[in-house]
Amino acid sequence: MTPTAGLSFKPVHYEQAMACPAAGMWFEVHAENYMVDGGPRLAMLETLRKRFPLSFHGVGLSLAGIGEPDRDHLARFKRLIDRLDPFLVSDHLAWSRHGDVSFPDLLPFPRTNEALDVVVRNIDITQSILGRQILIENPSLYMKIEGHEWPESLFLAELVKRTGCGLLVDVNNVFVSASNLGFNPISYLDALPRGVIGEIHLAGHSEDPHLGRSLLIDSHDAPISQEVWRLYDWLLARCGADRPPTLVERDDSIPSFDALLAERDKAAGMMAGLREVVHA
Amino acid sequence: MPDLAAFQNGFASALMADGEAGPSFQSQAFAVYRNTAARGAIEALRASYSTVDMLLGEEMFTQVALDYRREQPPAGPVLSDYGANFAEFLARQPWTCELPYLANVAWLDWLWLQSFLAGDANAMPHELAGGTSITLHPATRFAWLTTPAMTIWLAHRDPWEAGELDPEWQEEGALFTRVDQTVRAELIGADFHWMLLVCSVPTSVRDLASAVAAAFPAANVQELLQRGVASGALIIQ
Repeated sequence: MTPTAGLSFKPVHYEQAMACPAAGMWFEVHAENYMVDGGPRLAMLETLRKRFPLSFHGVGLSLAGIGEPDRDHLARFKRLIDRLDPFLVSDHLAWSRHGDVSFPDLLPFPRTNEALDVVVRNIDITQSILGRQILIENPSLYMKIEGHEWPESLFLAELVKRTGCGLLVDVNNVFVSASNLGFNPISYLDALPRGVIGEIHLAGHSEDPHLGRSLLIDSHDAPISQEVWRLYDWLLARCGADRPPTLVERDDSIPSFDALLAERDKAAGMMAGLREVVHA
Repeated sequence: MPDLAAFQNGFASALMADGEAGPSFQSQAFAVYRNTAARGAIEALRASYSTVDMLLGEEMFTQVALDYRREQPPAGPVLSDYGANFAEFLARQPWTCELPYLANVAWLDWLWLQSFLAGDANAMPHELAGGTSITLHPATRFAWLTTPAMTIWLAHRDPWEAGELDPEWQEEGALFTRVDQTVRAELIGADFHWMLLVCSVPTSVRDLASAVAAAFPAANVQELLQRGVASGALIIQ
């Protein structure tokens, strides 16, 4: 069965997930949460894998970090991949490691020619060790950083050209970054190369408690906004018949499985070309 | 044009620095990164040390976790690895002299987590003959504690017990085993603890019996051994 729209897997929803009859359903997990030797958490994922395709979304490769990717971490990632055979593997255009310190966040950097060489090197190492293509996700951006030599969409396009990686387009991140930094999200999406988007993410965001709407936070704690649904619709139309698997993400204020499934079904309906969407 | 290394040096230092965000957009925007990075470490530590969190309360735990992060930030992206020496950190803090069991409780939280995440092994039923080799299940964790921390830990893991807690102040042994994908915790005596220590390397039943009998002449070695196998702590190779 071809994966269409999926959900981020939450152990609290395990039984409902296993019983879900939705055609094209798949699940994504943060790979780092399952880089363990064994036990109930991994056993649960293995059972889920027997029924559904899985996607592994990394948050710790630090691909834009000045240092090379951590070989021990890559080895753990590879063991997990070999064990569960995900159909997609991804990480972010960001850094999160500096020397011996790891930051549980996706940090920004100036997109310079130097940075491009560094990220190309790190993606090459990662794909070589993992033995497969990875998808690179655009992060949410909050700060204006001086010295960019590349717009993000062209930087991503160059990474695809030089490494053979694919793209994971997080539509909510595009919306949040565009709102925070003042660029046009349609122009951003339109500058991405065609035919290289391997996955789309949809999620909710929130407003900063001090600055309100002028600073949006990629909080993953709310339903997908109407603006993001509209951008998604536009992106699907641009993708034409080649519509990438789409994930509905939620990491905080987790609602019922049915509530998440309704958003997932809406995305699946839009992928199928239905404008009259169920569970809207 | 900013140099990538210089940019990341400066940004990383700023992420670890204390301070309030100013009213400007740039300051608030930077605070998103600083807060996310700090919160990720704090909440990972809270998830790993849930009994310590219960004992200290949310606000106090957050402050202690911030102090710990300042000294020992995460070294890798797998956050279940973070905080391996939190118990040792707590034992060094002057204020924990008023909670002398706290570091031991933290160590028990960590042992529970290690048992939960450890590798799998099938416990095969087997005759306990003298030459049979026996060892620890990969998920077995145990400790000998200088305080009644295991009694306190067990009581806080069972909310019906915590309110009636009045532990006798004595040393205790703790055992965590994983059976049917569930971590079980129990108090153990010094002879059982010694047997587990001996089993840290694969050993024959005959040698194990000798080692336990030498240290604890009054111990019923056969009964200890059968209990060790039945609990899932020991596996026969």
